[in-house]
Amino acid sequence: MEAPVTHPSVTVQRQTTSSKAALTLAALIVLTIPTMPFWASGGYIRWAVELSCLIAIAQMWNLLAGYAGLLSVGQQAFIGAGGYALFVLAGKLGVNPFAAVILSVGLPFVLAIPFYLLLKRLDGPYFAIGTWVVAEALRLLTSNISYVNGGGGLSLRVMAEYSQHQRAIGITILSAVLLLLTVGGTYWLLRSRHGLALTAMRDDPVAAESQGVNVARLRFLIYIAAAAGTGLAGAVYYMAQLRITPESGFDPYWASICIFVVMVGGIGRIEGAIIGALVYFFATRFFGQYGATYLIVLGLLTMFMALYAPGGIWSLLTKIRDWPWFPTARLLVRNR
Amino acid sequence: MQWVDAVVQGVLLGGLYAQYAIGMALMFGVMRIVNIAHGDFIILLGLIGISIATAWGLGSAGLILLLVPLGALIGWLLQHSVLNKVIGTDPIPSLIATFGLSIALQNFMLQIWSADTRSLSGGTLSVASVSLGPIHAGVLPVIVLACAVLLTGGLDLVLRYTAFGRGLRASAADHNAATLSGVNTKEVYALATAIAVGILGMAAVFQAMRTTIAPPDGGAQLIYAFEAVIIGGMGSIWGAFTGSMILGVAQVVGFRIDPGWGILLGHIVFLIVLAARPQGLMSRG
Repeated sequence: MEAPVTHPSVTVQRQTTSSKAALTLAALIVLTIPTMPFWASGGYIRWAVELSCLIAIAQMWNLLAGYAGLLSVGQQAFIGAGGYALFVLAGKLGVNPFAAVILSVGLPFVLAIPFYLLLKRLDGPYFAIGTWVVAEALRLLTSNISYVNGGGGLSLRVMAEYSQHQRAIGITILSAVLLLLTVGGTYWLLRSRHGLALTAMRDDPVAAESQGVNVARLRFLIYIAAAAGTGLAGAVYYMAQLRITPESGFDPYWASICIFVVMVGGIGRIEGAIIGALVYFFATRFFGQYGATYLIVLGLLTMFMALYAPGGIWSLLTKIRDWPWFPTARLLVRNR
Repeated sequence: MQWVDAVVQGVLLGGLYAQYAIGMALMFGVMRIVNIAHGDFIILLGLIGISIATAWGLGSAGLILLLVPLGALIGWLLQHSVLNKVIGTDPIPSLIATFGLSIALQNFMLQIWSADTRSLSGGTLSVASVSLGPIHAGVLPVIVLACAVLLTGGLDLVLRYTAFGRGLRASAADHNAATLSGVNTKEVYALATAIAVGILGMAAVFQAMRTTIAPPDGGAQLIYAFEAVIIGGMGSIWGAFTGSMILGVAQVVGFRIDPGWGILLGHIVFLIVLAARPQGLMSRG
């Protein structure tokens, strides 16, 4: 008789000390942002809102390009769509502006479906430029619609009904929700059953398909989810700006920001998008005054990262020490 | 008659777009790479041309003779220093690298030439026109279209009948097998990119003579080239040419309907082709 195969007793470990610390810190930050109107100055609140939008937009692009392999240079389509949906709902249709931000997700969500069905016909790099064309078409279309004041853009006058303090409370709560949905949502997604499929797809789409991952369907779902998340960020961002024009809402510069943030931070890692967003946010605060020279450096740095350090800052950091903040892997630990 | 005229003007505009598009079709067909800085190179070469013309008083033909080799050199350098490092099955690295290059180039040009729009004076050539019955056409646009036809036909013949063309088609079909058969694929790629950017040297002079150019314009030119390639059918040089004509006609007809709709109608035609015939109009598939 054969001896029965004995399995070494193991447990699956899904958190590390560093990740527990990071999760606690992240939860604290999300809970702290809505309290800011009671202790922080208006300038810091603006920083927090902008940074939240930046992290959200970058994280959505990371999910799209890093995991689903869908490189988009047209996410500004959804930023503008989310922003315009807010201005129409709140400014024209009289919906409560804070509720309108949440409802605004509907427009980018609905637009993303036909966009994807069209664009998926394009191969690899052509998909990317296709997303840009779609964003440009939306920009030109918006400039031609007199209901939204064409190229002149819209102002969010209804916000005048609320005091500075009320507005600050509303927008900080929305920023916290935005972070929770985009970063928390990505983390949850990657740790779920779909996360295994997504990680497999990130590493090799063909191999993932052969293991039973429905790559086409997953890509479709990720594209729509990223559109909705990006649209929400657009609505929050333009609520803080109080003004939107086709030129700003659908500005291709948004795509440059996505690419720079994620490539420098580390593509295909949740931590990468966050680090990249922090780097970009503070670099722009300190060096933005140099204008074109600063952007030349950003462009060259992006190219340099693509050529020599495709894993970005996060992969360089993990070489020094592996201390994941948001681990998605399953570690098998042998029981002693 | 107004619409016949619009179609004629559209075809002439298409001659300019064809000069952007055939290089892009060539690079994608051979390497599966899209150079996001494609449009920025047109603007860069155009601005260099304008500066040279002002400094040395060089005519347009002399400028083309100078800018085409310069473009080819830029393309060759780009392939050797950047693109050869990122060629592979994953399209992301090459796109990101050229995207970064595009941002850097645009802002570099802003730094040197400022955001002003500039153009190249064509002398009597820019105002001369020929008439065929009630249709009037500028001599310059006709020359542009003729050059586009010659370039497309010439490139097609080179791909079909020369050793370089065979090597190029072999590298496109199977990179490894071509290497095994003794094709130096890296050199073939570098030549393809040199041709693609070299053509832009001519396109840049025509663009600067026909309209104006400014540092941020590159993105739009990239999009037109791309739309032309997709409308015509990927990988085919004559397809890119035909796509350019269709795009040009769509834009001019759109402008005649409403000035705000010109570029937009081009995008819409592109999206319709993508929905109805994604393999492109000229493709056999």
